Amino acid sequence: MWSVAPTVASGDTVILWLGRDIIQALVVTPGKVFNGRYGAFPHDALVGVLYGSKVFSQKERGFLYVLRPTPELWTLALPHRTQILYLADIAFVTSMLAVRPGSTVIEAGTGSGSFSHSVARTVGSKGHLFSFDFHQDRVDKARIEFLRHGLHQRITLAHRNVCKDGFGLLDRADAVFLDLPAPWEAVPHVKLALRSDISARVCCFSPCIEQVMRTVAALNENAFSEIQTYESLLFPQETYSNPAPPPVSQITNALKESEIKREQRRLRQISNAQLRKRKRDEDADDQNLKRPRLQDPAPSDPGSSSSVPQPVPDADPDHRAPADLPDNPPKIVVSKTIPEVRGHTSYLTFAILLPSEFRPRSHDATTLDTNIEQSATKQEQSVQ
Amino acid sequence: MRLPPRRIQPGHTVMIKMPSGECRSIKFDGVGTISLGKFGSFPAAELVGQLYGLRYDIAEKTLKVIAPPSIEDVEDTDATNELIRDSSSIQEVTYQEIEQLKSAGVLPEEIINKQIESHASFALKTEYSKDKYKKRKQAKFLKHFSTIEPTIHNVCDYWFKKDQSRIRDIRPDALSQMMTLANVHPGGRYLVADDVSGLLIACMLERLGGEGRVMNICDVESPPVYHIVSYMNFEPQMVDNVLVSLNWATADEMHEPILAATEPMDGQKSSDGQRIRMQKRKLAESALFETREELFRGNFDGILIASQYEPYSVTERLIPYLAGSGSIVIHSPYIQVLTEAQSKMRADPKYLAPSIAQPWLRQYQILPGRTHPMMNTSGSGGFLLSATRM
Ligand SMILES: C[S@@+](CC[C@H](N)C(=O)[O-])C[C@H]1O[C@@H](n2cnc3c(N)ncnc32)[C@H](O)[C@@H]1O
Repeated sequence: MWSVAPTVASGDTVILWLGRDIIQALVVTPGKVFNGRYGAFPHDALVGVLYGSKVFSQKERGFLYVLRPTPELWTLALPHRTQILYLADIAFVTSMLAVRPGSTVIEAGTGSGSFSHSVARTVGSKGHLFSFDFHQDRVDKARIEFLRHGLHQRITLAHRNVCKDGFGLLDRADAVFLDLPAPWEAVPHVKLALRSDISARVCCFSPCIEQVMRTVAALNENAFSEIQTYESLLFPQETYSNPAPPPVSQITNALKESEIKREQRRLRQISNAQLRKRKRDEDADDQNLKRPRLQDPAPSDPGSSSSVPQPVPDADPDHRAPADLPDNPPKIVVSKTIPEVRGHTSYLTFAILLPSEFRPRSHDATTLDTNIEQSATKQEQSVQ
Repeated sequence: MRLPPRRIQPGHTVMIKMPSGECRSIKFDGVGTISLGKFGSFPAAELVGQLYGLRYDIAEKTLKVIAPPSIEDVEDTDATNELIRDSSSIQEVTYQEIEQLKSAGVLPEEIINKQIESHASFALKTEYSKDKYKKRKQAKFLKHFSTIEPTIHNVCDYWFKKDQSRIRDIRPDALSQMMTLANVHPGGRYLVADDVSGLLIACMLERLGGEGRVMNICDVESPPVYHIVSYMNFEPQMVDNVLVSLNWATADEMHEPILAATEPMDGQKSSDGQRIRMQKRKLAESALFETREELFRGNFDGILIASQYEPYSVTERLIPYLAGSGSIVIHSPYIQVLTEAQSKMRADPKYLAPSIAQPWLRQYQILPGRTHPMMNTSGSGGFLLSATRM
């Protein structure tokens, strides 16, 4: 597959990691310059650096990381020509289809080649992937990528409508993966392409439950067994280093203290007001010396005036939220699922095709079978 | 290349799905009788050379391969369960009668039909509950069992259902994601900390296909028996040149392992037995030094951890031996353990983009008119922390 040398060489496909959401693939071409969000990076500066290095831009303003490609990074970096499969589905399909080194796998359609890269990696140089798409341009682009990524020997690409014309392979594959709008149309062809001497496996990937129902019916009619449907997702988690949540006793004490402060201020205001009033009264007394003094509350008796609360100015900081929390509370690490996750990709319908002699009674017409079988034998050469 | 079909051989560990739906495993030696308890018994020789994944009927102490059931198109009818009384008296065939029928050699299917005939309210049941009823009866009386093909998915699933905590909650989807996140491929070289009875090692060995290196660092003096690896029934070449082990002391560069004597004590004559023992020790010693050398030379492609030890302390020990751009993947049943490790990694420039994700899996029942997610699902497949070495 990709370069296994410790350092980047001219002509290598590398992954440039500029951030979690900015991951790009690049073929290192001396003389060229990569202009990214974080500055200009001449390709020549990448040659000879160790994979996994931080590389600074020409003006040392920004930097990026140079990574060795893997199918998973390729999935994040590849040019989208279609919807693609992501890690969770790819991994689960690989596992359920029992794909391993040496397996022969068929996929349709090739699409953007996301699934193809991962499977080609897992089957290794002893295994093989037959990949089909009926869209010429996608086939051509995938062909270039597979060649550039050193996968051309383990992937056979064919331009073909597999629902109409089948796979052109007979008794050949350990597993078939269908990512097509109408997989049920391809199911009779899958039956022919799968090995007849083992428990062979198929997976159909469809976003809608109506598609799943039709697929299950087709699989059942074509003598597949152990039909199972799953959904597999990965929920990314976010981690924060947050101040530890304070105990409620802390705020209780703070509130009590501010209550006391508020009361003290109120008393201060009352006594100030009384002082002012007495001052005024004294001034008046100076003018009306004979006037008797009535209703003069004792300044030291707050209880008698409690029914007349003093308005508290909003701006007074002492009367707002707790002010007495510690400045540097201990930090703790917490996590939660990110706010928006991929909630559905597709339903994955799996089934097993037992060796011919052990299959359940098949409902389909045998004439159809032999017809396809004959044409399949002819077509096998065309794919090889 | 055409992968050889997987067939049952003496020496294999064979997983079996019982008529009741439960699974168990047998150490298969191909001789004698295999007893499935109340479901019957048969001569072991009947299974030798059989393809894995078939379903059998135990008839007259011999095995007959039978086709798996296909989905019956059960259309929903107007019937509801409204009129059905929940008492056992409506079940007209008594236990004694069933036993009599059985000992008279009446076939299980016939017993079920008889029960259905005499089940007073059977016609009143909805198609759905009829189907459920039939299934329940079938599980009870039919002697159908199947062998389970030892794919890593099936082995993981078997252990997840049997003893989830023994494999630290690694559900099959989580295990497959570990392989993908770590870019495990034939010829790759990986450092592994497997505290899951060999499940992780088994999966790595399968994905390497006999090429590459799995170096497991264990927490006991000499390599333990990786119990779950035996469930894969690997050919020796899948394991022998691939799997090596060190322990956390012998994997320490600063540590000089203290070894058992390989020379007889001065002036003592040694017996043949002693000489052979010394010879063995010498071999083990040189193997140990080779493995240490290989670890310290480094340049591994990935680190995979499913261990009870604090993950950051584990990766800190192993990361010096990981090549630039190599992957680190850690599974834990507990997100707290991973968030702590992740926050340490974030502060450490050796680790690029440490990320945590939770695998989620749901199965669906797909049947005409009654398609829905399964009522019971696994809520705990653990969590994954992955990062790339800078
Ligand atoms: C969603 S894409 C596949 C994406 C691919 N799995 C990936 O991961 O990149 C579906 C592809 O199937 C192709 N396709 C649809 N119907 C087809 C058919 N009958 N025969 C062959 N290819 C078909 C389309 O051209 C399209 O490229």
